[in-house]
Amino acid sequence: MNDVMRKPASSRETSGRKTMVQEFADLTAVILAPLDDQASLLLRELQRYRMRARQVWPMPTTVPGDADVVYCEYCPDLARRLPWIPGDARSALVVIVPATEPIQADALSHATPNAVLSRPFTPNAVLSSLVLARSQFGYERRLRSKIERLDENLRSMRTVERAKAILMATRQMPETEAYGFIRRQAMDRRVSASAVAAAIVDSFELLGYDPQH
Amino acid sequence: MSNLMQRTTAPWRIGVLFSRTGFMSVIEETQYQGTLLAIEEINAAGGVCGRELVPVSYDPGSDSAAYGHYAKRLMIEDEVNTIFGCYTSSSRKAVLPVVERLNGLLWYPTLYEGFETSPNVIYTGASPNQNSLALCRYLMDTYGSRFYFVGSDYIYPRESNRVMREVLKANGGSVVGERYVNVHARWQDFLPIVQDIGRLRPDVIFSTVVGEATVFLYRAYANVGLDPRKMPIASLTTTEAEIAAMGFDVGEGHITAASYFQGIAGETNNCFVNRFKKRFGGDVSTNMCVEASYFQLHLFAKALEQANTLDTEVLRAMVLGTTFDAPQGAVTVNPMTGHADLWTRIGRANRSGQFDVIHQSREAVHADPFLIGYGRATAQAGNAL
Repeated sequence: MNDVMRKPASSRETSGRKTMVQEFADLTAVILAPLDDQASLLLRELQRYRMRARQVWPMPTTVPGDADVVYCEYCPDLARRLPWIPGDARSALVVIVPATEPIQADALSHATPNAVLSRPFTPNAVLSSLVLARSQFGYERRLRSKIERLDENLRSMRTVERAKAILMATRQMPETEAYGFIRRQAMDRRVSASAVAAAIVDSFELLGYDPQH
Repeated sequence: MSNLMQRTTAPWRIGVLFSRTGFMSVIEETQYQGTLLAIEEINAAGGVCGRELVPVSYDPGSDSAAYGHYAKRLMIEDEVNTIFGCYTSSSRKAVLPVVERLNGLLWYPTLYEGFETSPNVIYTGASPNQNSLALCRYLMDTYGSRFYFVGSDYIYPRESNRVMREVLKANGGSVVGERYVNVHARWQDFLPIVQDIGRLRPDVIFSTVVGEATVFLYRAYANVGLDPRKMPIASLTTTEAEIAAMGFDVGEGHITAASYFQGIAGETNNCFVNRFKKRFGGDVSTNMCVEASYFQLHLFAKALEQANTLDTEVLRAMVLGTTFDAPQGAVTVNPMTGHADLWTRIGRANRSGQFDVIHQSREAVHADPFLIGYGRATAQAGNAL
């Protein structure tokens, strides 16, 4: 199975997935910085990766929350201007930090950026910040959804256990066969094993079945 | 922040988040009072390491999302690292991403549905193994095995009922009805439910209705003339505060499982109740949420005394394993789960709005939020009653 999947699906598409740079195409970006030479370079670079970028200045009270990537000038109250609560960010955030003026470490940390871009910008620095922000943001989001699924699985395992016990008692099935039954039903009906288990438990409950008697 | 160590007389700033307005204020106001009482006691005794505790408090107005926004404000603008608060699971889940991302510490003094263990939360209310299991056994032994579930429509009641249903089924009981009402439900919303109950005649009504709506459920029950001696409402959330709000006559005879009731015996509790009444008036009662809010502050102070920093990593390490002689009895923060080991009690409301304790565990019951060490049979519930 794994070996088959590792082989290229066709000669036309050798890797079978987009490159990082291909993934940038059509992403939206907001740049919150004055439109000087630096910001122009940033805008050009993002457009070169075929991103849909727009520049906004002066700094709004609330950072726009609808872009895939936000490039935002550092300010001490940046965290307060973000439209989301920490831990629930909706965009990848790159904080633009000044070349010489001092910044506060706590303020930067509170904004929970996924990457930083220091002035003066270079094309390599822009690309690096973009790669880092996208991959860190995506990874964090995947971890969070993994935790959500784990939580759900933990609960549904208890339902599966009960359905198994019902099947073992009513159908005189051995344990492995009961699990197999639930799995087959799930595959046939194209639903999750926990949904099948819940249906079994519910229907036996309706019939007043009592696994202990 | 960095010069905290040198300024040794500067106060410790701590966050407090309870709704003192809106439909949850009936219970959260009492949690606020429990928190305040403990802070005042600690400060009167000289503070922690000679430094005063100063609460920074916001009222989220019973709006779950507001808890998240205030948690953000507390941690970022007020530079507070430790927050005491939340009643509903929805509000806890709103604060969770903030304390987890910014590495703060939330102290949560409310019973909840279990199945969570965040490194950024200390849970001081009961998990299902500390209340539901024993309650289910008692109800089945005393009243019968046909249960009717009624709850407020949000995370806690649905998850709590999932656990209760499982325990009930495993012991040969059945759920004959299950209804959820909006958290803003009024008394009219309970009429069809109590009528349904009158028709189905269950042995027990298991309620996870919270906040103001609790009052309407019990009143609707009384209005249709149902008898608590034969078919009581059993709850994990109806405390002395809700009984006072609905009227002592309305609450009389109904059952609640909790770690603490005002009426429990013991010198520690007597002193606590006296101090609470002296501070907030003779006619108010303590309850399980006041008590948890109160003892968690003392647990915190005890750990802070040793840690001498609000840094989450250091403080949490000190908190785990800490024991405190709480009004309910000795409680310990379980190092495995970050949940407090608590006492299991079952009480029946009497005519004066207090609970007579009809069952109690021999010692504090280990918190097991994921119900790992428990089968589903109630015979294994707690450390036996």
